Amino acid sequence: MTYVKIDKTSVRRERLAGTMFLLPAFLLFVLFVVYPIVYNVQASTLDWDGVNQGVFTGLGNYARLFDDPIFITTLKNSGWWILLTIIPQALIGFFLALLLNEKIRGRAIYRAIFFVPAVLSPVVVGIVWQRMLDPFNGVFVKVGQATGLDFLARGYLADPETAIFAAIVVNVWMWTGFSMLFYLAGLQLIDSSVLAAAKIDGASTWRTVRSIIWPMLRPTHLSLLLLGVIGSLKTFELVYVLTEGGPNHASEMLPTYTFKQAFQLQSVGYASTISVVLLLIAVVSSLSMVRAFGSGFLTGDAK
Amino acid sequence: MKRHKKSAAVAAATAFSIVLAGCAGSASKQDSSDESGLRALTFRSWSPIEQTTRQMVDAFTSANPDTKIDATIFNYPEYLVDLQTRASSGTMPDIIGLQPGALTQQYRSNLLPLQDCAQKTWGADWQKKFYPIGIDQARLGNPAGDENFYSLPLLVQTVNLWANTEIFEAGNAQIPKTWDELVAVVKQLKGGEYAPFMLPAKDSWLRNVVFLQIANNVEPGLVYQAEDGSDKWTNPKIVEAFTYWGKLFTDGIAQDGAIGLDAYPSGANQFEAGNAAMIPLGAWWIQQSDPSKTGIPPLSEGMSGYQPFLFPTIPGGAAQSQYVGGIDVALGISKNTKNPDLACKVLTDWIAGAGAQKLINTFNDLPAVTGLNPEKFTSDKQQQIWTTLTTEWMPQVKYSRYLKSPQLDTALGDALSAIATGQLTPKAAADKMQAEQEKVGG
Repeated sequence: MTYVKIDKTSVRRERLAGTMFLLPAFLLFVLFVVYPIVYNVQASTLDWDGVNQGVFTGLGNYARLFDDPIFITTLKNSGWWILLTIIPQALIGFFLALLLNEKIRGRAIYRAIFFVPAVLSPVVVGIVWQRMLDPFNGVFVKVGQATGLDFLARGYLADPETAIFAAIVVNVWMWTGFSMLFYLAGLQLIDSSVLAAAKIDGASTWRTVRSIIWPMLRPTHLSLLLLGVIGSLKTFELVYVLTEGGPNHASEMLPTYTFKQAFQLQSVGYASTISVVLLLIAVVSSLSMVRAFGSGFLTGDAK
Repeated sequence: MKRHKKSAAVAAATAFSIVLAGCAGSASKQDSSDESGLRALTFRSWSPIEQTTRQMVDAFTSANPDTKIDATIFNYPEYLVDLQTRASSGTMPDIIGLQPGALTQQYRSNLLPLQDCAQKTWGADWQKKFYPIGIDQARLGNPAGDENFYSLPLLVQTVNLWANTEIFEAGNAQIPKTWDELVAVVKQLKGGEYAPFMLPAKDSWLRNVVFLQIANNVEPGLVYQAEDGSDKWTNPKIVEAFTYWGKLFTDGIAQDGAIGLDAYPSGANQFEAGNAAMIPLGAWWIQQSDPSKTGIPPLSEGMSGYQPFLFPTIPGGAAQSQYVGGIDVALGISKNTKNPDLACKVLTDWIAGAGAQKLINTFNDLPAVTGLNPEKFTSDKQQQIWTTLTTEWMPQVKYSRYLKSPQLDTALGDALSAIATGQLTPKAAADKMQAEQEKVGG
């Protein structure tokens, strides 16, 4: 049996070096993540305009949330947004990726075209779509008039029943290319010998997609799911430009409502309360996913 | 293991002390002069636009070569975020753009009273230099007994309607002066490629200013009494004003989807492109004919295709259309400025001096002071409109385009949106406003 003598000084040095390596990241984490959260939680207990001295209200702002119908609307809208953006975006993105993974002429151009909306500013997208959906003079109404498709002439953004769904459609249009790119990357990682074996075994294209490609892209689905949930909860610019959360708050989202409370109504305390709720939803949903699917799913190590 | 914990504790303590240092919010004040020895000032606002602000800064710094002004112009929402962050971190700029009422009041404790500066520069009767509504609104929301001016108006405006005169002439139509004429002219002009009455009602501010014009034409001043609590929002006259607002949508006066169209850029672009016969905006529309701009659309060239007019009178209401307007942007000086005299000199120069002349030359909006005119007009029409706005309308503006409280202002915008989309009746909207008023009033 051989004993290795461990020098205590070198262990200490190693630990110190490890701590020093961790320190910059730790400091940045504390400064830019922990501190704003603590500050926000503290502000959520105040009746405060953001400038002058606040008044401590304890959990008063949290109690107010339950009586605020606009806050309830924002929660419902966030639910719709998560459901109706993540699934269509993933499905359309997946099939686009399958198509553009084939050796077809000009596929690089097609890939770029489908990805372009994702790199545009949401403000530009919002302005352009608002004009396109304008039932007085927009592109859709003109097409509707020319073709007799009356449903195109409706004021979707002006109707409280449809405004949030119209915004969701625009969001899906904008981000589908992003999902496509993720799936294209995922497809490159699938071992071609697996696909060749399936072909030799006589699997049809649909069967190959359903039973081999789709399951093997599990890490991609899960990454998109996580990014989709967080992205949905953070949605601001697109909704703000398209509808400003209207009409009459019908398309209000948590961030747009937070902004209005903080900077238009000078209720920074209440806005902080909404932010804390938003943070809790984001943390709980992310942790739930990590717990359900395993922490390795983002890195592709999920089993 | 113990040692490991110790290291972590040291790291945590270091991090925490850094955080606490940031928490204190006691950032050091900026020096009054920069490295080159120039007396330096900072200015932040959302208005005037950057290009115009640069001209104003240049005008001042060329006349005062020992000074330097660091000016930054934001979009309005970004500006609010920047200002609030700076105010709470002790880094307020020396001069800031403000709106009267709630915004000025929010920062009141950080602002220098300006009446001494005004008196020193313009003399004891300095208030007479300004349009009366500007002076009234500059102190909007001050606590009882506080007669200080925490901001002074830079630009003022009327809110009104604009007509595309080419469409009116081609349709042989007359600019409406009464509600019935408005209904008739909209009917007459319908069927073309343009909207007879384009109402970009997505924006809360626009809904509110249109409603305030209607409400003041129904019963002048009543809406402000309801806001003060000396009358009620459920007063039948206010319900009637809500009803007329609703009629814009239900009677087909506004274009389809009006509640989804924003004023800027969509509504303004469409009006300038000749896609509308009328639009509710304000005096600032004259900036479309700013001679320093390139590529001005034909309608805007020298204001050749436009005519401003007041919102039509309402049956049974005031005999004449009322003038509604107020401050577009005001300026304030930070209490912590290191150069209060210089800040006063800059502020007064931009309001009524060489800087103001540069500002007004661009037709950005109407000057806050009387008798200040652009040095050059590009057409007689432009001059005629300018003269109407500055010498006939602006001195008569009596009613504010804002409500004092942001809560009520927002509630009004919501109520108007709900009426427009059929979610609330005018009576229900009035009830809701009254409930909000009672909540805000305590």
